Amino acid sequence: MNFKVLLLLTITITYYEGAAQPRAKGIEEKVQQLTDITAKKSVIPLNINKFKEYVKSPPRDYSFVVMFTAMAPARRCAICQHVNDEYLLVANSFRFSAAYNNKLFFGIVDFDEGSDIFQMLRLNTAPVIMHFPAKGKPKPADTMDFERAGIHAEAIAKWIQDRTDVQIRVFRSPNYSAAVAFSTLFIILAGFLYIRRNNLEFLYNKQLWAVCAVFFCFAMVSGQMWNQIRGPPFFHRTKTGPVYINGGSHGQFVLESYIVAILNGAVVVGMILMIEAAGGVKNHDPTRTLAEGKRRRFQSVVGLILVCVFFSLLLSVFRAKTQGYPYSFLFK
Amino acid sequence: MPSTTETLPSNGRSKGLFQNTAGLSTLITVTVLTLAWLAGFASRLFAVIRFESIIHEFDPWFNYRSTAYMVQHGFYNFLNWFDERAWYPLGRIVGGTVYPGLMITSGTIHWILHALNIPIHIRDICVFLAPVFSGLTAIATYLLTSELWSRGAGLFAACFIAIVPGYSSRSVAGSYDNEGIAIFALQFTYYLWLKSVKSGSVFWSICTALSYFYMVSAWGGYVFIINLIPLHVFVLLIMGRFSQRLFVSYSVFYIIGLLLSMQIPFVGFQPIRTSEHMAASGVFALLMAIGALKYLHSLNPKGQWKQLLILGGMLAAGLVFLAVVLLTYMGVIAPWSGRFYSLWDTAYAKIHIPIIASVSEHQPTTWSSFFFDLHVLVCTFPVGLWYCIKNVNDERVFVALYALSAVYFAGVMVRLMLTLTPVVCVLAGIAFSILLDLALREDEVPEQSPDSEESKSLYDKAGKVKKRTLEAAPNADTGLGMNVRSGTLIAFMILLMLFSVHCTWATSNAYSSPSIVLASYGNDGSRKILDDFREAYGWLSQNTAEDARIMSWWDYGYQIAGMGNRTTLVDNNTWNNSHIALVGKAMASNESAAYSIMTMLDVDYVLVIFGGAIGYSGDDINKFIWMVRIAEGEHPKDIHEVDYFTERGEYRIDSEGSKTMLNCLMYKLSYYRYDSGGSPPGYDRTRSALPGNRGFKLTYLEEAYTTEHWLVRIYRVKKPSEFNRPRLSLAKRKISTSNTISKKTSRRRKGALKNKPTVVKGKKVGKLE
Repeated sequence: MNFKVLLLLTITITYYEGAAQPRAKGIEEKVQQLTDITAKKSVIPLNINKFKEYVKSPPRDYSFVVMFTAMAPARRCAICQHVNDEYLLVANSFRFSAAYNNKLFFGIVDFDEGSDIFQMLRLNTAPVIMHFPAKGKPKPADTMDFERAGIHAEAIAKWIQDRTDVQIRVFRSPNYSAAVAFSTLFIILAGFLYIRRNNLEFLYNKQLWAVCAVFFCFAMVSGQMWNQIRGPPFFHRTKTGPVYINGGSHGQFVLESYIVAILNGAVVVGMILMIEAAGGVKNHDPTRTLAEGKRRRFQSVVGLILVCVFFSLLLSVFRAKTQGYPYSFLFK
Repeated sequence: MPSTTETLPSNGRSKGLFQNTAGLSTLITVTVLTLAWLAGFASRLFAVIRFESIIHEFDPWFNYRSTAYMVQHGFYNFLNWFDERAWYPLGRIVGGTVYPGLMITSGTIHWILHALNIPIHIRDICVFLAPVFSGLTAIATYLLTSELWSRGAGLFAACFIAIVPGYSSRSVAGSYDNEGIAIFALQFTYYLWLKSVKSGSVFWSICTALSYFYMVSAWGGYVFIINLIPLHVFVLLIMGRFSQRLFVSYSVFYIIGLLLSMQIPFVGFQPIRTSEHMAASGVFALLMAIGALKYLHSLNPKGQWKQLLILGGMLAAGLVFLAVVLLTYMGVIAPWSGRFYSLWDTAYAKIHIPIIASVSEHQPTTWSSFFFDLHVLVCTFPVGLWYCIKNVNDERVFVALYALSAVYFAGVMVRLMLTLTPVVCVLAGIAFSILLDLALREDEVPEQSPDSEESKSLYDKAGKVKKRTLEAAPNADTGLGMNVRSGTLIAFMILLMLFSVHCTWATSNAYSSPSIVLASYGNDGSRKILDDFREAYGWLSQNTAEDARIMSWWDYGYQIAGMGNRTTLVDNNTWNNSHIALVGKAMASNESAAYSIMTMLDVDYVLVIFGGAIGYSGDDINKFIWMVRIAEGEHPKDIHEVDYFTERGEYRIDSEGSKTMLNCLMYKLSYYRYDSGGSPPGYDRTRSALPGNRGFKLTYLEEAYTTEHWLVRIYRVKKPSEFNRPRLSLAKRKISTSNTISKKTSRRRKGALKNKPTVVKGKKVGKLE
């Protein structure tokens, strides 16, 4: 008898609880809720409960793309902000595009609000963008690889298209910052010239122009353009200590290119010193005094040493990078 | 180049001689230029001496093939040539899609020699054309530098450009390409331009236009000239250096040059329809406007005219700029094409045009390639630039602009090192000339008091000045002194010697490989020639049908057409990206999907390059990822780059490799039946791995030929009737017939004839219907 009552009670309670908190919402209901949230916000913030409810629990016919990030300033995640911006751009583009449907939703999990989700998924880095497909478990390819694809919105959209077959055309609000910066610079320059319109002598200063031109040459010849395009590290840290010179001839570090620019510059300075000491190109007869002769000899020797030493250094750096290069000068 | 190292000191010294005896100075000039020509010619012959007199690489093969065609069929047939051997099934109108200058040049040489009864084969002319032109380039550089600075500097520059690796990289014997003659045309046009700006004569301007015409006919890089000369004019206008000379020379050059350049079929109406050429027209309009204002100014030199001039000039510039922008916007002028646009926006090609980004010579330049190609010149040419700007005049403005623009372009693209090299030689020649001139001259100054005989003897013994100055050591306290001077001389002689040995080394080791004949060196220094490419192309030409279509990656298109004489689908003239992408897709798909593409394109043979057996790194598997990328660009639904990487993002071919990778056509064709290459048979020495998918069979293709070192593999595509039919067990081959007999009517019983005539005895049999 007691047993029966107990059983009945248990059943009742179970039933009651089941009715009060349906363990699994129906698909329509979930999609409806998600659509409602998306109508307000294109990216759905998720905590552990919502995450389990919308993303993890099985009856689903929609894909969910979730970004795991750490946006709090205390976390000091600089890249998170960039990724977040791009991610929002994708989500908004999708939200306001013609292809918008309720088969794909965007979510965001912040570490400070959902650290248990991070633990559940065994994530220990941020940011991560994962795709939870409508059917089955996420595969390794469902985690976006920033290193290969990059963090641009276009890359994210392409990856989403790869995973879900939903094509998102990223709509970037046109970037005026470059144009604004350029016109500001132009205005400042024009204003500066206007203010100094009575004293434009500095524009006729050949030395200034020559210095600018020579520096531009140094920058290009030392491969700054390569740095700009390839984005190498400043220098390389290894277990044995920092390495400043890239070992191969097809790569270079940023610091290395600065070193080379300085070496080139020293050779040029040395040569100019020598020419000036010998009288310069103007061919004016230098004053022929003893002190003057001494100074010029000294200057010439300094120039010669600069040229030889720094060119040899340049040659040995080059030799270290190029396998089988047979020649060197002064230094090995 | 020992001869060059000897010439270098002499021209620094020769500067002093010019002032005295014209004959001697001419003798020295001619001698030095001849020696530079010889040295330049000789240093480019490594490939011919080591291998043989053959055409190198890829593009030269096409140039050679068209030249041979032109020599055989005549110039007009060449212009109308429709080449059905390329870009099957599209074909290519060769006459309208090449710069014919190269072919015409060698064709003319061939014609002249044959008119003189010298029976030389056109191939030898093609092989030696670039080395010969390097000498002409040296002379053009000498003339240019003499206009800019002095004849001594010109001799230095000529010697530099004759042997510098940055130029010999594109002009070794056998490298029969547009650049070989274009650099000469470039330098010569610039020389004539400076001459015409200096003199303001119509004659020199027309010469400039003619030389520009030759350049347009020779190389697409003419765009550099038609932007640099207007830039020069524009900067001169800003600097207030407008003159009647400038007005005459530019307007004559622009009009004649424009009309002439439009005579080249490949260029056509581009000079008035594309943005690349608009700078020239804009500057022309501006020059006209300023000329008009100047004229008004000359009518009334007093008053407010100066400010009106400046204001009017600026207004005109603004108007011209707006007009160009508006026309571009309206679509009258085509916007910058991708190839040029990628020079400004360096990320452009990588995102939008993978086929441009895939070419290794379109990569940016590291400092070590600058140093490799220019050596000591790279750190001395800023000195020349410095003195050119400090002692500026109309011509030196030009060389400064040339240097700055060329150094930028060379930084963006390795290939454009070629346009930087001449100006670096010019400026470094100026720098060396200034320094050595001063170091050698000053000992004359205190010696003016002694008898003139001594100074004469100095000139006669031009080769021994160093010794003599050591003996003399006059008045060392006021001047630089003998020790410093001789130290300078010795140090710079060493630098120049290092330069010349470096040039020889670089040309010999890096730039003299024909790349269709490979050489490998054993541990004992013995050399082994790998002639697999020609073996394969020879096989193709001997053993396949005349009209067989060969599918390969576009790199080998020109070679197959040139050596194998067979039809190709894609080649190095990458004008049709979608066709290339289709071939890439076939290579990247699995066998059955590839087969449908191949039947669609009527492919008979597939050719792949496989370097695994000998460790050749430039093979198709290493290029494969670009095929995937290009295919993905056109067929994003079918090909995904990610599928070809492992889950950790590595590109591997061993058992860890991704499934798509291990089953694509390129992989299978490379590793089919492969059992050579090292200790475990089938080991890939290029990628140091054992292939992950081995022992497979091919269904739709069969191996036709593999060269000695497995380098080239040719497969035949089977016809649909030849497929390996699925193997059935003996029992299944019989069709059991017991159940199929219908028992409906006697008429439709098995084996019964319909409308069978009934035979009645005694009656004639009726005819069968």
